[in-house]
Amino acid sequence: MEGSSEPLLDAKAEVANQLLDFQWKLGMAVSSDSCRSLKYPYVAVMLKVGDRSGQVKNKSFEMTIPQFQNFYRQFKEIAAIIETV
Amino acid sequence: MLLDLSEEHKEHLAFLPQVDSSVVAEFGRIAVEFLRRGSNPKIYDGAARKLNVSSDTVQHGVEGLTYLLTESSKLMISELDFQDSVFVLGFSEELNKLLLQLYLDNRKEIRTILSELAPDLPSYHSLEWRLDVQLASRSLRQQIKPSVTIKLHLNQNGDHSTQVLQTDPATLVHLVQQLEQALEEMKTNHCRRVVRNIK
Repeated sequence: MEGSSEPLLDAKAEVANQLLDFQWKLGMAVSSDSCRSLKYPYVAVMLKVGDRSGQVKNKSFEMTIPQFQNFYRQFKEIAAIIETV
Repeated sequence: MLLDLSEEHKEHLAFLPQVDSSVVAEFGRIAVEFLRRGSNPKIYDGAARKLNVSSDTVQHGVEGLTYLLTESSKLMISELDFQDSVFVLGFSEELNKLLLQLYLDNRKEIRTILSELAPDLPSYHSLEWRLDVQLASRSLRQQIKPSVTIKLHLNQNGDHSTQVLQTDPATLVHLVQQLEQALEEMKTNHCRRVVRNIK
């Protein structure tokens, strides 16, 4: 691969935005305006992303448990592939 | 109150006496249609060819007429003031009468259109809420922390936007109290007096 011999710093410089912080929380929705009695667990993720000019943006999103399991599987795969590189 | 027409505006309107009054009436109709739906430059080309003048001249004539009508409607000037304002242009009696009729016929509709141009703040459309309990976070496990998540749906100039907010129940109670206090203000003597006077 062409880029593999280059130092890590160069690869980072190619990326437009950088992940500065990754916060998460596990919550359970118990009631809403459309349904008074819920038992809905979810994972909420709050990302802090900085662009090249230094501007920091907050992005948050929620996942259901199945969605989170899929999310987790992606990272497991990425970690597994990194081991082989 | 008289209209103060700029020199440039007067120049643009100077085209009107050069054409038939039926053409001026047509320009008036086009002007109001453009106010309703937005302008269509192709109309200028067609008219220019028929009248044997440049497209710019037609455009200025229609735009001048539009501006005359919108300014008059905006200020809601009286018939007499409109006639006096147009008098300075030195048009024929017939043309002046035609312009006055255009103004009176379309004034109400133009004012309705103009009222929609007022700066529009996002307004409330609907609200969804959810009561959550936070069980764990990256920094702390084994929690029981209640919070309320609110999705506020807003409308602005026909665009729909949403704002997601989150707060703890204590702050929400405080928020509700503040809003109730604001509503209570409507019942005070001062507000009652103001509302009565507006009505």
